[in-house]
Amino acid sequence: MTTANGASVEVQAVSKWYGNVVAVNDVSFEIYPGVTGILGPNGAGKTTLLSMMSGLLRPSQGHVRVLGEEVVGNVGLYGRIGIMLEHDALYPFMTGRSFVDLAAKLQGVSDPDAVEWAIGAVNLLDAQDRPTGQYSRGMRQRIRLAATIVHDPELLILDEPLNGTDPRQRVEFADFVARMSAAGKTVLISSHILEEVEALADRILLVVSGKLAAAGNHREIREKLDERPFVVRLVAEKQREMAAALVGLDAVESVRLEDGAIEVTTRNLADLQRSAPRLARDIGSRLYRIEPMDDSLESVFSYVVQR
Amino acid sequence: MILALFLLALRQTAAPRRLLLLTIVSLLPVGLTALLVALDEADLSGTVGGGFEPLLVSFILPLVVIVLASGAFGNEVEDRTLSLLTTKPVPRWSMVLAKLIGTIVVAAPMMAAVAVAMTAMPSDRETGVIIAAAAGSAVGVVVYASVFTWAGLVTTRALAFGLVYVLLWEALITGLLSGTRYLSVRSYTIGVMHGMEGSPFSENLAIGFTTAIVGAAVVTVLFFALAVRRLSRMDVP
Repeated sequence: MTTANGASVEVQAVSKWYGNVVAVNDVSFEIYPGVTGILGPNGAGKTTLLSMMSGLLRPSQGHVRVLGEEVVGNVGLYGRIGIMLEHDALYPFMTGRSFVDLAAKLQGVSDPDAVEWAIGAVNLLDAQDRPTGQYSRGMRQRIRLAATIVHDPELLILDEPLNGTDPRQRVEFADFVARMSAAGKTVLISSHILEEVEALADRILLVVSGKLAAAGNHREIREKLDERPFVVRLVAEKQREMAAALVGLDAVESVRLEDGAIEVTTRNLADLQRSAPRLARDIGSRLYRIEPMDDSLESVFSYVVQR
Repeated sequence: MILALFLLALRQTAAPRRLLLLTIVSLLPVGLTALLVALDEADLSGTVGGGFEPLLVSFILPLVVIVLASGAFGNEVEDRTLSLLTTKPVPRWSMVLAKLIGTIVVAAPMMAAVAVAMTAMPSDRETGVIIAAAAGSAVGVVVYASVFTWAGLVTTRALAFGLVYVLLWEALITGLLSGTRYLSVRSYTIGVMHGMEGSPFSENLAIGFTTAIVGAAVVTVLFFALAVRRLSRMDVP
């Protein structure tokens, strides 16, 4: 069941604060069947948002409705939701199979093949009888995913599900998510890696500093990110001549000499990287280094949210 | 569903290293009593465990239950596994009940066995006295288990809270102010022992048998309800 407008999750003017610290600030959005990604740097408030959607945290303000119902205190709703949080929580004394079996029992699953199906879906049948304490990080993620899907939920909430997985496991996970989406389920995935979310999600919610900075498909988000200026540090033999030459480039917004290097602000990083070696050759200077100074995801997000 | 929760709680509570440590601690009053009996220098007929009853009832029993019960949910919070349980369609009362029973099933036989060993050492002891010691200890375990299961949900320092509570309230204040014994788990424990068999259990803290049973039941149910309420309303990390 969804809401009247077909949304699986409704987040309405939700805030969460701890004392003076605001973790989530007046966020509203809706999530529909298919795959939605919540993207944001570490500490942006993604996990807090997901925990509120999971009913584990009560919003300080606002409302969260999941599958048409209030989620807080609604124990019965968990039979329709699968939740896998970020922290690597397992019972190390259990085997993988007994862990999924416990989840099936607590979910009231009556299908005797459900546990086998769930473990098979994450390709872990070979290792199912080993204690989870002996699992690699990727295997732990997969067995947790198996326990999350064993009751075939309508809505999946997955917080950083690709942490610790290898490239092959990522491909398998993408296939799995695509199958869930094709089956009409709602899958919500969080990540701090843009490429991860791009590869998996139809729609992206960009969260920065506890606020919803942008929402849309990956092209719309990517365009927003690509518009930001980059600061690049160049080290050349003839600093002053090189700086003067760089000023003449269309791609360059500003140039300044700083600590024996040239700091260039540009909105076209690719053009700068192509042109700088040619300029150095033209003025007879050696170019020792070109390095982006603020290419961290946090700086990208900061730029987007400040616009 | 409750059986699955109970088996999980039992497996967590009965961690081998912790059990071994608690068993060693529990054997302290037994060892001291055995020493007195071996020395054959004291008249033990009028005492429980050669006078080491307070050591068992006031310190060892609560200490063992504090360690086990405060960790029942406390360890789940610390390991961040609590969300594995609270995101399942399982009533909160059944989670608390499973944890409570898990603690009682481990601690009650251990404490009852210690009480029996201490009481039975003087060779002329009647069976009724031994049963009373075991029953009183079991009642103490149940009440403390309920209180400290709740404490494990309320604070991450439940162990420290428990130790301060036992030392200040149970050992000091209820010993000094007689009126407070009606709110003392130690009094309920001794009240049950004394009510069942009378001598040789200490009388100074004893309350009536019925009062002890009713008090123990009220405190157990009250803290069980508080634990359910807390689990239903808390932010789960």
